[in-house]
Amino acid sequence: MAKRNTNKLTIIIGCGRLGAELANSISDDNGDVIIIDNDKDSFRRLSFSFGGLATVGDGTDIDLLKASGIEKASTVAAVTDNENVNIMAAMMAKNLFNVKNVILRVNDNSKQELYKDSDIQVICPSELTSRAVKAMIDGGR
Amino acid sequence: MNQHIFIVGNSLQVKSLAESLINKKHPVTIISNNMAFCKELSQIDNLTVVLGQGDKRYVLEDADINKCDIMIAMTDSDSDNLVICLMAKKIFQVKKTISLVSDAKKTAFFHQMGIDSAVCTTSAITTIIEQQAIMDELATMIPIGEGRVRISEVKVSVDSPIANKTLFDIALPAQSIIACILRGQSTIIPRGSTRILADDMLLLVAAVEDEIEAIELITGRNYD
Repeated sequence: MAKRNTNKLTIIIGCGRLGAELANSISDDNGDVIIIDNDKDSFRRLSFSFGGLATVGDGTDIDLLKASGIEKASTVAAVTDNENVNIMAAMMAKNLFNVKNVILRVNDNSKQELYKDSDIQVICPSELTSRAVKAMIDGGR
Repeated sequence: MNQHIFIVGNSLQVKSLAESLINKKHPVTIISNNMAFCKELSQIDNLTVVLGQGDKRYVLEDADINKCDIMIAMTDSDSDNLVICLMAKKIFQVKKTISLVSDAKKTAFFHQMGIDSAVCTTSAITTIIEQQAIMDELATMIPIGEGRVRISEVKVSVDSPIANKTLFDIALPAQSIIACILRGQSTIIPRGSTRILADDMLLLVAAVEDEIEAIELITGRNYD
């Protein structure tokens, strides 16, 4: 019988490629996941077997976040393509709702003073990708 | 010394605010990412205009943000406004930050994040219109203190239940007070023994919860 990750709700804000990939992956592991995006067409990126909940709406709307169970969520990942929306959502998750694990997607480190002392985990896709590509370049030398 | 004020945004309100502040002799800088708006603004004397996005570090640096005393974020995006103000405060130590907020539910959050003043335009305007619509004897309602307190002018009509009564004898709700009486050309700061007369214009200061009750007491009308 497949193991179920009980009591661990992940809320993902933004159903772009990153958010959708994350949601599919957590759902495949039998985790509880809610994904929020204000464009319903974005949910087409979710896999056919997606077992979580997809909600159309603004991931920085306090009422919507509460209705989605953010008060009980163990993880919130703010991964839209708008860095400022992600920052606001991450700060809400951490400061209003005391979510333990908050992940923030940014474009670069030019705003790090805003969140570096806040126990928010930061992911910078361009930085990760450039490191990986550089490793490929160095590997091929 | 006149505070140097920065405003980020593209709206007409940004322009009128800037003009008003310049009239009061403040140095003003506007940051806007709209070229046409910037061109229009460049016609205004004593106004520094910077074309660019106010949430970009290099734009703020180019705009000399270290001279900024007050940052006002007035874009139409709450998240952009939040980030602009936080950058001003945390990266550039700007003393005071003010932000427009379109979603009233976010104002407390903005204050919690350290924004000095969060102004919710939608609720301020709808509150004023709502009051104007239902109450004829009211003029100019001003919300202050994050909208928790309101100041309004209420006229005492001839058949008001409080006409000819002293303040001592008027049972205003606890969180309300008649701060001032405008009688003809005189302004009276009332004491308990001051008598209210018909045709007085009262300046009522009240917490939101008690305001309607206080107004009903003064006008003798029910506003349910």
